[in-house]
Amino acid sequence: MIYDEILKSVKNIPAFPAAALKVMSLIDDPDFSIADVVDVIKYDQAIAANILRICNSAYFGLSHKVETVRDAVMRLGQQNVIRAVEAAGVSKFYKKAKGYGLDANKLWEHSVGVALMSQILSKRIFNCEDARLYTTALLHDIGKVIMGEFVDESFMKIYDIVSSKGISFLEAEGEVIGIDHAELGGKIASQWNFPADMREAIVYHHRPDLIPNGDNNNAWLIYLADQACIMMGIGLGNDGLAYRGLSEAIVRFKFRQRDFEECIMMMLGDLERAKELLGIV
Amino acid sequence: MSEIVIGISDLKVSNNTNDILVTYALGSCIGVTVYDPVAKVGGLLHFMLPDSSLDPQKAGENPAMFADTGIPLLFKSCYKFGADKKRMIVRVAGGASILDDSNFFRIGQKNITAMKKLFWKNNVLIEGEDTGSNCNRTVYIHISTGKVFLKTAHNGMRELI
Repeated sequence: MIYDEILKSVKNIPAFPAAALKVMSLIDDPDFSIADVVDVIKYDQAIAANILRICNSAYFGLSHKVETVRDAVMRLGQQNVIRAVEAAGVSKFYKKAKGYGLDANKLWEHSVGVALMSQILSKRIFNCEDARLYTTALLHDIGKVIMGEFVDESFMKIYDIVSSKGISFLEAEGEVIGIDHAELGGKIASQWNFPADMREAIVYHHRPDLIPNGDNNNAWLIYLADQACIMMGIGLGNDGLAYRGLSEAIVRFKFRQRDFEECIMMMLGDLERAKELLGIV
Repeated sequence: MSEIVIGISDLKVSNNTNDILVTYALGSCIGVTVYDPVAKVGGLLHFMLPDSSLDPQKAGENPAMFADTGIPLLFKSCYKFGADKKRMIVRVAGGASILDDSNFFRIGQKNITAMKKLFWKNNVLIEGEDTGSNCNRTVYIHISTGKVFLKTAHNGMRELI
């Protein structure tokens, strides 16, 4: 019964902002121009206003205040513009999120933390940043937006299973509610017609080792970034740290403990500088 | 009563009996509270990593980030308000870990070890402790009484004795 209610909530979730979707598809087009991006954004006033706010954050380190969308797009460069558009488009879904014992805005803070960490890891491991990875990371916990309405009333039940069986919160969520927040995120991604690789990274963000016959580095990077934010308590809910550690992540990226700790330090610095990202509405 | 929030990699000390120091959402990080009942001085540190050798420059800028630089600074900051090491009561909470199949993600465990080693070396007894496991913790210390309270999702609020 809860399951049916959840599916109904997925059907009723507002559409993904057209501008954010359009910009996402531009990423795949090698010929996209700055004018294309400006054209898309200028019709969405909420996104345009947020873009300016984000662009003027210390994270992007611009020396002069940016006044127009065209200016913002010129100054930031394509990758950063995409990031700013996606953050501005996605934030509204998290703003009202309840559940997991989290105060308003905390799930958004967590999502921004994971997105920033995903870029630090990608830079360290692959020597490049990746706007598509960033967008997916922002959305990895989108399932919690709906799940949050249901998980709190079943919390003690879920918690008891976590402690008695020693399984993860995700697995216990599935047992008690009939679906877990990652799978639910996948359903939302389908509803929004996201590309398959993004949907897959959302569904498997706690278990990238279970991705069927495939290799999805972005899922692994989001997994690592998520663990880092969970451990550091960034937007940490009452599900706590009850998620599985997968040592395969280290082998795969030849990553040392020390590298991981250094990246965590950088992420906390970025989060401090990206405060405007947290304030957008 | 006024609540003073201590963020990640931060510490605060107070001798104002109206103050409650609080730090939210301790995952693998550890909250260290100290209190001198005679001077009525208390402090709270929220450190995130065990060892400052990871980045000595960062540790210089922000000693509260690491166990080995944050804990000494916490004590010294209390001495400035007249606290005495012999009277200081220490309580700690946090250091949780994810369900691990390797040592890779054991920052919580490493934080606990580094902290305890430091206390042993300096002959400091830990009076109250709630560490490890995989839960999210919030810690409060009341400067008027030195009482420390711990909040978790499954146990609610309880005093850490």
